[in-house]
Amino acid sequence: MFRRLPLAGIAATVALALAAAGCGGSSSGGSSSGGSKTLTLGLIVPATTFVAADMNFANESPYGQAVYDTLLKADTDGKVVPSLATEWKYNDTKTQLDLTLRDDVKFTDGTAFNADAAVQNLKRFQVGNSPNKSFLVNMADAKAVDPTHLSITLKQVDPGFLNYLTQNAGMMGAPSAFNKPDAKTNPVGSGPYMMDTGNTVIGSSYTFNKNPNYWDKDSQHYDKLVLKVYNDPTAMLNAVKGKQINGAKLINNDFNDQIKSSGYSLVEQETDWTGLLLLDRDGKLNPALKDVRVRQAINYAFDKAALLQAYGKGYGTVTSQIFPPTSPAYDSGLDSKYPHDLAKAKSLLAEAGYANGFTLAMPSTTRAGTALYPLITQSLKDVGITVQLTDAGTNFIPDILAPKYPASWLALQMDPTDWQIINFELSPAATFNPFKYSDPKVNDLIDRYLKATDESAATAAVKELNTYVVDQAWFAPWYRVKSNYATDPKTEVKAQPGNAYPYLWNFKPKG
Amino acid sequence: MLMFVLRRIGAGIVLLFVISSVTFILLYVGSGDIARNILGQQATQEDVALKKEQLGLNRPLLTQYFDWLGNALHGDLGSSWFTGEEVTSGITSRVAVTLSLVIGAIVVTALIATVLGVWAAVRHGWVDKVVQAVTILGFAIPGFLIAVGLVLVFAINLQWFDPTGYISFTDDPTGWLKTVTLPVVALAIGGIASVANQVRGSVTDVLRRDYVRTLRSRGLPFNRVVFKHALRNAGSPALAVLGVQFVGLLGGAVIVERVFAIPGLGDIAVGATSQGDVPMVMGLVVAIATIVVVVNLIIDLLQGWLNPKVRLS
Repeated sequence: MFRRLPLAGIAATVALALAAAGCGGSSSGGSSSGGSKTLTLGLIVPATTFVAADMNFANESPYGQAVYDTLLKADTDGKVVPSLATEWKYNDTKTQLDLTLRDDVKFTDGTAFNADAAVQNLKRFQVGNSPNKSFLVNMADAKAVDPTHLSITLKQVDPGFLNYLTQNAGMMGAPSAFNKPDAKTNPVGSGPYMMDTGNTVIGSSYTFNKNPNYWDKDSQHYDKLVLKVYNDPTAMLNAVKGKQINGAKLINNDFNDQIKSSGYSLVEQETDWTGLLLLDRDGKLNPALKDVRVRQAINYAFDKAALLQAYGKGYGTVTSQIFPPTSPAYDSGLDSKYPHDLAKAKSLLAEAGYANGFTLAMPSTTRAGTALYPLITQSLKDVGITVQLTDAGTNFIPDILAPKYPASWLALQMDPTDWQIINFELSPAATFNPFKYSDPKVNDLIDRYLKATDESAATAAVKELNTYVVDQAWFAPWYRVKSNYATDPKTEVKAQPGNAYPYLWNFKPKG
Repeated sequence: MLMFVLRRIGAGIVLLFVISSVTFILLYVGSGDIARNILGQQATQEDVALKKEQLGLNRPLLTQYFDWLGNALHGDLGSSWFTGEEVTSGITSRVAVTLSLVIGAIVVTALIATVLGVWAAVRHGWVDKVVQAVTILGFAIPGFLIAVGLVLVFAINLQWFDPTGYISFTDDPTGWLKTVTLPVVALAIGGIASVANQVRGSVTDVLRRDYVRTLRSRGLPFNRVVFKHALRNAGSPALAVLGVQFVGLLGGAVIVERVFAIPGLGDIAVGATSQGDVPMVMGLVVAIATIVVVVNLIIDLLQGWLNPKVRLS
C-alpha cells in the first residue's frame, strides 16, 4: 500500500480527491461582490417562502421586492407613492378605495398584470399564511372594474390600508404560477429581478438577474442581485472585512467600529423599542399590576440611561413611549416621563399597598444574552419587587401570548403607521395585548382616531392616546434601539422608516 | 466477505430506524411551538392553531412518525415547513459542499498525520517532542478559533483566500480552492493531532517487534522496512481513528460552515433544528446517518484489506 508513493503522486491524489468531492457540489452565489452592476447584500434571515400570499416582510423584504411589484410604494419619508397603481382615491366614508392600474406590466412568464390578477392576489393574501395577513383583515371585497381599474371595499375605516399595499399585502404574483409545485422556491412576479434558481441555495444564498422587460427601468440599478444569509455575526463581519458584500443589515452593534474601519458607512435607524411589557393590567395573574401606581413604580425603578449603556452599548435613545419620533403621536416630552427615581417608586408602591414589595413572574430567554436578566432583577429588587424568572426556551413568545406571564421583557418593532402600532400593541384585539385588556378611554380615543375627518383631528386623537397609555404605564420602555445598516464605499442607500431593511430600489451605485 | 457486507448493511438499516425514531421524539420534545415559530410573533393564536392543523401537528405523535416513515420509505422526505424547499433537493444541493470539506480534511489529515507520526516514531528525540507538542496544541485549540484566526491572517490581511462563501468546482476551480482551503485546514488540525499520535504510537510499537528486527538483520533498507512492513501493520488502528474522525468532522463542519458562511449541511442543520423544521431535520439525520454507515463499512473493508486477521475474525 505504501510502496513508492512519490510526492507528486500524493499531491495529485489529494487534488483529485478534493476535486472529485467538489465536482458534485452545488453552485452558489459565489463570494465576490462583483463590480457596480452586481449588488450583493447581507441579510440575517433566509426567505420564509417566495409565495407572495405567504411572505414575511421587515428583514425579509428584499426577497419579495426583488421579484414582486407592489400596488403602491413608500418613499424614504414614508409617503405613499405610485407603483403598479398610478392613482387612488377613497370615497367620502373612506370605506371604498378605487385604484387605477398600469396597463404595460407583464409577469416574467409573459402573462399580463391587470385588475383581475390584483384581485386574486389580494384575496389570496387575506387567507394566506403570511404573518401579516391581518393587514387585509378589514378588506370586505376586491373587484376588477375593468383591466386597469380595481375597487376595494373595506369593512371599516383602516388608516393603515394604503401603507399595507406598499408592503407584502400589496405584492403581486402571476396567477398563472399560483399552483406551480415549486411556487415556494421559484417565484413568478413582475418585479425588477428574476430568480436564478441554478445559482441559488435556498436558505443561504439567493441569486437574481435583471428582468429585461421591467417597466420601471429607473428603479433597476443593477444587472445582478445576490442576497446572502449570514447566521453568524462573525461571518458577516468577515464578509465585510473581505469586502465581499455591498451592504449588510448588522445583527448587533458589537462590531460597528471594526466595520467603520473597513471603509463601510453606517446608516442608523431606530426600529424597535425595548423594555418591559406590563401586560396583566387587569391583575388576573398578578393583582399588583392592576394598580396604575405599581406600573408607574416599575417605570421609575429603571435607570434607562444606564441600561442603554450596559445592555444597548449606547446605541439608542432613552424613552418612556412606544411611538417613534416619525409618528404624529410622538411627544418628545414623554421620552423623559419616568426618570430613574427609586424614592418615588417606593412611595408609589407604598401608596398602592405594596410597601413590602411583591413577586413578579416573567419568562426569560437565552437569546437576550446573559446581562439582561440580572439587570432587570436588580433594578426591581431595589424597589422591593422580587423577579421570578422561568426559562421559556423556544416557547418564549408563545408563552407571552398565551398569556402565561403578567409581564415580560421584549423588544418590539415600531411600525411605520400609528394604526399598525395600535393594532399591534394597544387595541383590545392587539397581538401584544394577550389579556385582551380593554380600557374605555383607549377604545374611545381609537374610535376618535378612526372617525377623524381630517388629519389634525386624527393626530390629536392619537397624541392623546399615546399620552394616556404612557400615563397609565401600560409598558415600561427603556430606550429605542438603534440598529445599523452598513454600506461599502461603492454603494449608497437610505433607511426606510418603520422597516428593518432598506427598500431594494433605494440601493444605488455611488457617484 | 459478501455475508460480512450484508450483515453490515442490515445493521446500518436498523441503526437508521433507531436514530430516526429517537430524533423524531427529541424534535417534538424540544422544539416548542413550531407553528408559532413559522408564523412569527405577530400572528394571532387562531392563525397558529390553523397552522398546527395544516401541518398535522395536532395528530398523535406515533401517527405523525409512521406517516413520515411511510413516505420516507417511498423516497418522499417531504418539504421544509419554513422554506418550502423539497428536503431531498435541499440536502442534495448541500451534501457535496459538506463532503468536499470533510473529505478534503480527511485526506489532509491522513497525509500530514502519517508523515508526522512516522517521523516522530523513527527519529525519537527532539523530533518526537516537537511533534507531540504540536499535536497537543492541535488538540487544545478549538476549531472555531483556528477558523477565525485563519480568516484574519490569510483572507483579510493577505487576501489569498475568500473569507466567506463557497464556489462550486464546476463553476470556477480556482474560486473553489480559494473558498475551501481555509475551512479544510480549520477542520483538519484537530484530526491531525489525534491521528498523528495514533500513528506515532503504533509505528513505535511495531518497530520494536521481532519480525522487524529479523527483516533488518536480513539487510532490508530501513525505509523499506518502515514503509512496506511496519506502516502496514501500524495502519490498522490509525485507520480506525480516521473513521471516527470522519464522523466527528461532519459535526465539526457545523461550526466551520457558520464561521465561513458556507451553504453546507451543517449550516442548514443548525437553523432547521432550532426552528423545529421536522421534515428537514429528519432528512438531514437520514442523510448523515447513511454517510456514517457507508464510511464505517468502507473503513471495515479497508481494515480487512490491511490486516487479514480482521477478515478471519
